[in-house]
Amino acid sequence: MKYKIFSLFLTVSLILCGCNLKKEKEYQGNINIPENGIVEKSVFSQIKEDNAVVTFSGESNGCQYEWTIFGNDIENPKDINLAVEIIEEPEQVLLDFKSDDYFGFSSVLSIHINSVWDCQNAVVYDSKNNAVCGASVTGSENTILNYTTLQTTGTFCIMPDTTDDIKSSVISTEEKEITTESTVSEPYTNQENYLTPAGKVSDNTVSEKNNSISESSENYGLIADNIISDENNNSELSDYDDRIISDGSQTEQDKYLTDPVPEGKPMPVEPENAEIHEQTQYTCTFSVECSTILNNLDELNPEKFDVLPADGIIFPATEVVFYDGESVYDVLQRICKENNIHMEASWTPMYNSAYVEGIHNLYEFDCGNLSGWMYRVDGWYPNYGCSRYQLKDGETVEWRYTCDLGNDVGGGYAVTGGE
Amino acid sequence: MRDTFSRCHPIINFLFFGLVIAYLMFIMHPVMLIISFLSALSYAVYLDGRKTLIFCLKFLLPTMCTAIIVNPAFSHEGITILCYLPSGNPLTLESILYGISASLMLGASLLWFRCYTIIMTSDKFVYIFGKIIPAVSLILSMTLRFIPKFKAQFEIVRDAQYCIGKDISDGSIFSRLKNAVRIFSIMITWSLENAIETADSMKSRGYGLKGRTAFSIYRFDSRDKKILCCLIFCGIYLTCGILAKGLKWHYYPSVRGVLSEPFTISFYIVYILFCNIPVFLNRKEDKIWRSLKSEI
Repeated sequence: MKYKIFSLFLTVSLILCGCNLKKEKEYQGNINIPENGIVEKSVFSQIKEDNAVVTFSGESNGCQYEWTIFGNDIENPKDINLAVEIIEEPEQVLLDFKSDDYFGFSSVLSIHINSVWDCQNAVVYDSKNNAVCGASVTGSENTILNYTTLQTTGTFCIMPDTTDDIKSSVISTEEKEITTESTVSEPYTNQENYLTPAGKVSDNTVSEKNNSISESSENYGLIADNIISDENNNSELSDYDDRIISDGSQTEQDKYLTDPVPEGKPMPVEPENAEIHEQTQYTCTFSVECSTILNNLDELNPEKFDVLPADGIIFPATEVVFYDGESVYDVLQRICKENNIHMEASWTPMYNSAYVEGIHNLYEFDCGNLSGWMYRVDGWYPNYGCSRYQLKDGETVEWRYTCDLGNDVGGGYAVTGGE
Repeated sequence: MRDTFSRCHPIINFLFFGLVIAYLMFIMHPVMLIISFLSALSYAVYLDGRKTLIFCLKFLLPTMCTAIIVNPAFSHEGITILCYLPSGNPLTLESILYGISASLMLGASLLWFRCYTIIMTSDKFVYIFGKIIPAVSLILSMTLRFIPKFKAQFEIVRDAQYCIGKDISDGSIFSRLKNAVRIFSIMITWSLENAIETADSMKSRGYGLKGRTAFSIYRFDSRDKKILCCLIFCGIYLTCGILAKGLKWHYYPSVRGVLSEPFTISFYIVYILFCNIPVFLNRKEDKIWRSLKSEI
């Protein structure tokens, strides 16, 4: 009898309390936006209550678009018109929000366009042609534009970022004091440097090479390895890019299994040879973002929703100070420490570099088997580790999370060797 | 041994240990781990008190401490950064908590297996599996017996060799080696012969034949039925709880889970009852025994 009463009590408590579980942030899948675009208040209240992450997807003129909405961002649920009219033109996308009111919370709009944009970033302009914000360009086959917005009325236009807004603002101020030969006087040239490395950069290469060879043979009696003497560099800022620039003649892997570095790109500098001079301070633009995860929410490890930033930005593009001779990894490590961002890396002797496993608790393999962190410097994903990339003044470093072995962030070549 | 639980039906014993170890492995909820650990400790102490305490101090405690230290040294996940290790990676609160949980799990499973070896003797094991998988259970039981038997026989052979002056303890290195090889050869011959003898003996007795019955003193009585019902109820209740995510707990990236919901508290109660079935049974039996003794 005693057993029966006890088991009855437990069964009742099981039924009663079954619905009383604490809600954790979880992905509840995709909802299609209805014809008229209006999603009812009750839906948003439910999302808010469930602390859910939901994507709303729709289609306009053959373009798929998606809103990613985090339940904990919603303050006052209301009826919202999520429809967007999208007109895709070559190298520009026009948006017309059907909503006549702001949503009241920020959310990410992802636009799957039907072409491929060959650019690093995109910029969103409003109807008066003022730049509003940047958009990240991702996507493996076709380009996906992601941007976070509060302004959800009126018309907007997204265009590829050819002017390189962020970079030019940094460089133009710094550059004037320092540079001599590879000067970037106008915003366009920096990009052109990378697109057409033959002209200006190769000149640079020759002089650099001669310089380092003569120096090293004098001082160390070595053939120009990747060792660079910083003695000159210390006294004068003028000689600020003293890395060896690849001339593209390399045909085989080096001893750390690095494929030939493309022409015009800096050769790796081994961390054990790098000399850091703390008295020489430079600046670079640094950012960490993971917007590709927002396009692959169904693959994300459910436990990681707590640490996923709603806009996909972990560390916004910021001008940071670093010391002469530091590598991308040194800077990443310091920035993460200073800003209390979690970061884990492991030293890999085979590649003579640190391997970044996770930033902000978002680890490799957390969003599918092909996911992990990659870094890009001035639009190029180096094909060697981040401890071997010696930073130079004014460079732009972006850490990006990929869900498709680099293809979705435009860096597949760094992983596969361009095959 | 005054243990009552070991006098229950072997199926009950086996089912209990199977379930208790399975739940220990699948539930990472800290409260459940603590419950399991304390129950295992209390039962192990009940079974052989002094030896268990020595085992705990000499072996279990260092092992658990190592597990606690090793986890944060290799795992750096977690949102609460306490400080930075010399490698440059962060030391996080979550990895320490996970280390503690993992060490509790390790300790509890060692203690449960300690109890298992005392309760589940090889005849019980053969009794359960002898009919279903005769060959495998015979092999298992023979292998389990092999090491202690080999050790005992080794002593005998060595003593005999010592008596005829062919010991491994003195003489030149060469002669010692020669004697050692000789003893080893004797042991190998003996063990092979012994295995064949056992097999022949079992075969001649008709082991594993159809329709052959085996003597056993085990009887499935009403007490066993009650315990079986209790085990099944607890098993179903806890399995439902795991499936309904009532015991959800994760350590990375942040420690999150259900702790004090009424639903979860009911699981704690059931789990305490479940893990302590042998101890409760023994207590009850002790009480009856004492009252009977006092009546005399």
